Amino acid sequence: MGKKILIVDDSNTMRKIVTRSLRQAGLDFDEILEAGDGLEALAVLRKEKVDLVLSDINMPNMDGLAFLREKSADAALNGIPVVMITTEAGNDIIGEAMALGALGSIKKPFTPDQIQETIGQLF
Amino acid sequence: MENLPDKIMSSVHEIFSSMVMMDIVPGAPILGEINPLQNTITGMIGLAGTHKGMLAIHLPESLAKKVTGNFLGMEVEEIDDDVQDAIGELANMLGGSIKAVLTENGKDIKLSMPSTICGKEYQFQSHYEGESVIVPFAAEDSKFLVELRIKQEE
Repeated sequence: MGKKILIVDDSNTMRKIVTRSLRQAGLDFDEILEAGDGLEALAVLRKEKVDLVLSDINMPNMDGLAFLREKSADAALNGIPVVMITTEAGNDIIGEAMALGALGSIKKPFTPDQIQETIGQLF
Repeated sequence: MENLPDKIMSSVHEIFSSMVMMDIVPGAPILGEINPLQNTITGMIGLAGTHKGMLAIHLPESLAKKVTGNFLGMEVEEIDDDVQDAIGELANMLGGSIKAVLTENGKDIKLSMPSTICGKEYQFQSHYEGESVIVPFAAEDSKFLVELRIKQEE
């Protein structure tokens, strides 16, 4: 696929689960980067050319919604697509994420098929 | 609050079948307090908002290592940071799943960051008021418990 993806979650376990699920879904990225919160994610995005961000919402230091706000305020980062991966199912929080520029959401727990369904159509 | 044991069983089944890939069999809810936990790791998460309380999952260390191994796709030899993180994430997903059945899509309920504790022997006591539900599950020749203490605020 030749693309670079950034996984943002404060849980190291969840980052590894997402990585495995991407491979099981047949989505083969050139490089998979990781960040533990929104602040780290912004730092990565300012250094690396990333094609897609998968981000949790509930994280310490900077949560997923604050990350979306900061990213959209930065002209250099604004166009990078983001999909939320979250335990949140509420229309209010997901709606807020979409209003801040997220392209979609995947609810935890998820299967590789659900990952494929949401992300596969982006590439 | 209706059918909390059924909702817990459904949530645990969803997570274990989709992400842990481990067969589980629920048992009858336990009445009263849990005995002191031995060689166990507990993942817990708080709930606040229209419903207040906490949810905990108590797993024997051997089972916690298998769960972590299934999450990560590798053998796990000891209770290390990976296991603590995995069980915390398990509590997080359970919390998200439970809150989604307490209110419409979990609206107006916030989850805390998950925590874990582990040790040779400890007594886990929650001082939350409200309804108490403890459901045992059999898995891999072992057993774990999911405990929910929840009160709907006025």
